[in-house]
Amino acid sequence: MMKKRYYTCLFAGEAGYGVMSAGSIIAKGANRNGLWSFLVNEYPSLIQGGLNSCLVRLADQSLSSYEETLDFLGLFSQQGFDYYADKLNPGAIVLYDPATTQVDESKVPEGTLLYPVSLTSFVPKGGAKIMINSAMLGSFCALTGYPKNVVIDVIKNEFHNAKIQQENIKILEEVYEHIVSSLPSQNVFPFTFHKHAEPKILINGNEAISIAAIQAGCKFSAGYPMTPGSSVLSYLADHGRDYGLVFKQAEDEIAAINMLIGASFTGVRSIGSTSGGGFALMVEALGFAAMAEVPVVMVNAQRGGPSTGLPTRTAQADLNFVVYASQGEFPRIVLAPGDIEECFYETFRVFNLADKYQVPCIILTDKYLADSSVSHPLFATGHLTIDRGKRFEENVDRQEPYLRYQNTPDGISTRAFPGQVGGRHIATSYTHGEDGFYSSGNKEYALNEPTVTKESMDKLYNKLPSMEKDIPAIKFYGPSEADVTIIAWGSTKGAILEAMEQAAIEGICVNFLQVLYISPFPATAVEPILQKAKKTLLIEGNKTGQLGGILAAHTGYKANHSFFKYNSRAFVPSEILAKIKEVLL
Amino acid sequence: MSAHDINLSYVPTWCAGCGNYGIINALKKALTSLNLDLEQTVLATGIGCASKISQYVNTYRIETLHGRSLPVATGVKLANHNLTVIAEGGDGDGMGLGMGHFIHTARRNLDITYFIHNNQIYGLTKGQTSPTSDLGAVTKFTPAPLGNVEQPINIVKMALNAGATFVARGFVGNSAQLISLMAEAIKHPGFAVVDILQPCVTFNHVNTYPWYQQRVKVIDNMEGYDPTSLDKALFFAGLWGEQIPIGLYYRTIRPTYHESLPQLSEQSLMQQKIDNVDITGLMKELY
Repeated sequence: MMKKRYYTCLFAGEAGYGVMSAGSIIAKGANRNGLWSFLVNEYPSLIQGGLNSCLVRLADQSLSSYEETLDFLGLFSQQGFDYYADKLNPGAIVLYDPATTQVDESKVPEGTLLYPVSLTSFVPKGGAKIMINSAMLGSFCALTGYPKNVVIDVIKNEFHNAKIQQENIKILEEVYEHIVSSLPSQNVFPFTFHKHAEPKILINGNEAISIAAIQAGCKFSAGYPMTPGSSVLSYLADHGRDYGLVFKQAEDEIAAINMLIGASFTGVRSIGSTSGGGFALMVEALGFAAMAEVPVVMVNAQRGGPSTGLPTRTAQADLNFVVYASQGEFPRIVLAPGDIEECFYETFRVFNLADKYQVPCIILTDKYLADSSVSHPLFATGHLTIDRGKRFEENVDRQEPYLRYQNTPDGISTRAFPGQVGGRHIATSYTHGEDGFYSSGNKEYALNEPTVTKESMDKLYNKLPSMEKDIPAIKFYGPSEADVTIIAWGSTKGAILEAMEQAAIEGICVNFLQVLYISPFPATAVEPILQKAKKTLLIEGNKTGQLGGILAAHTGYKANHSFFKYNSRAFVPSEILAKIKEVLL
Repeated sequence: MSAHDINLSYVPTWCAGCGNYGIINALKKALTSLNLDLEQTVLATGIGCASKISQYVNTYRIETLHGRSLPVATGVKLANHNLTVIAEGGDGDGMGLGMGHFIHTARRNLDITYFIHNNQIYGLTKGQTSPTSDLGAVTKFTPAPLGNVEQPINIVKMALNAGATFVARGFVGNSAQLISLMAEAIKHPGFAVVDILQPCVTFNHVNTYPWYQQRVKVIDNMEGYDPTSLDKALFFAGLWGEQIPIGLYYRTIRPTYHESLPQLSEQSLMQQKIDNVDITGLMKELY
């Protein structure tokens, strides 16, 4: 196996200098020209100042992860140098503006090229602060050999205002010429750009989920802003008009989920998106959806917690919460996609599952997956079909009363939507009989209450066997026998797969059990894998090993080793590889 | 079963003499008088004595959580704006947990009718103070001698200030007027609120039938009455004591929420085709 080559650049500075925009232009340019990009944003929860950074990793093959080892560091502020100076690769280039940043040579590896450019001096008087960004891009191209025309093409594409476009390109060209003329020789970028490469998309997890929802015929969304869940909502708001979809900003998350329930009861596929705090407010209604058997699809993009926690940083600590949230008991579907592919295809699947099983569905992602952009081939959609589950058929002459909650062997009854002739019924948050009626004050009902209660609970759980058969809950990577078996869920997947590639090169045999759907828990599917495993390593982005706890509860199995990271940043392959080696010692 | 057959076989469980009997009869008569297709009608209720009304009326119904009838009704209306959507519940449900939703539904002018059964007490939880309980009201949670020390919410005033486009107050003891107010509210294109005064014969021994009967006064006959004037409506809303006006306080026409959305101009969300959605354009944006 050939070792992959990577090139990593990082732009860092205060909010307002276009740090994210610089990174995104580099990533897009590469993505359009046959290379693969992986872009990670880090930003504090504020509007001005602070340390924003945008890391772009490039390769000539697909990417599933990143490392904070930098070949190029573009600085807009002192804080950027202080934070990233010790993350430079040998031979790295550091570009800085001496007006804002003092670099200390003793803090960087030997052989680092520290290159000062007065970025601000290239911005015309009265020009917007954010135009420094173009000076940075011009410097980047000049120093690294990244083709200047690729950047200019992206700028032309992004800035629709011709004047702004020209001003920015002018700055870029000027800086470029200034630096190139000072260099002894022209630098060569380590990858070749291909102008007519097969098109790819550069997409983050929230975009993949949003597009999947549109593909799945979702026509209604409601929500309240909460980072990092909000961008699903803004995506749907932006594209609603074109796709006949309504996004309603609600007064709070309680209203949001209740609106989704109303729309779904009426027959329209609906999605919400939030983070842990917003999900907490939705919990009572989650139980309502379950009791009334109204399907809802809810994204929880995790951030640091508890409470307000870390609004803009990643974590995997809401697993127990979403798996168990609500009073009472009921089956639910919890999907934890691990990459863009799963964000798209599994979200599509979840809409079908929601309709088929009439249960609440939660898509559990995190800031890292939601917000990091990755090059991905176009989604093939020809094979995707919509399944709305059991529907009530209109019948004007029907004699027998319609029972919305009719007991059936698989626990699933037909859904009638308001407006359908003959389908009038009550959907309710109360424990209810087959016709939806509840009243312990009513004589006929009260006499049967224990029976009705048990039957209605059994009805919900009678769905489980077919759900379990229907859901591809686990994925398995690597050889069937290995020295170490990794157990993990969600966005850790990318770093684990890359660590496995590296391990294989070094002759270490590792395989990986990814739990993709954590509820209903796929105990039957995981057991044979665990039985075969020599040593297991549980990897999670939380303090207590929440998947490990769920696994133990369902199978009695306890992982031999664990690696928990809860420092607000995502896993990187190198630390996973180091842990694998430690386990094998 | 005809689309106009409004009755169900279950017998309500309200206390003998409860104002809810009068309200359900008025609702049924209002719906019948409008000759509505009940297959195309959705009643969303909260939780509480009043909210149980959805168990006994033969429309499509959704019995939601305590306080949440309005957001659920909002979802129903936006999903299929061709439906007639009614939300209903008590004063505790609507003015306690539901207050935020009430304000926002009003300012959005969703085409939803909202009937609030207002008995100034929590009934189903057996007699606690409600947001509309009068000052000094002695209840389980505000015992004597102090009683309730909080200023009560005036539902009519609240609805007017929040931007409801049809605001009325009815009294269950005046059923002819109540039926007509409810029917007018359902017909109104926009957020229509009817504050319905009703006694709780079990837990509220102050605001009884005679208490209301001595005070309610048909607003139409009061001096200066003008339901097109917000100022006048607010003036009459301020009267709560010796005189309590009942009738239509205010009516105006403002674009409803769904009318403001271009994506709903041709068909409802429910009518959209959902097979084979083409996402090519969305992917192109991400090249």
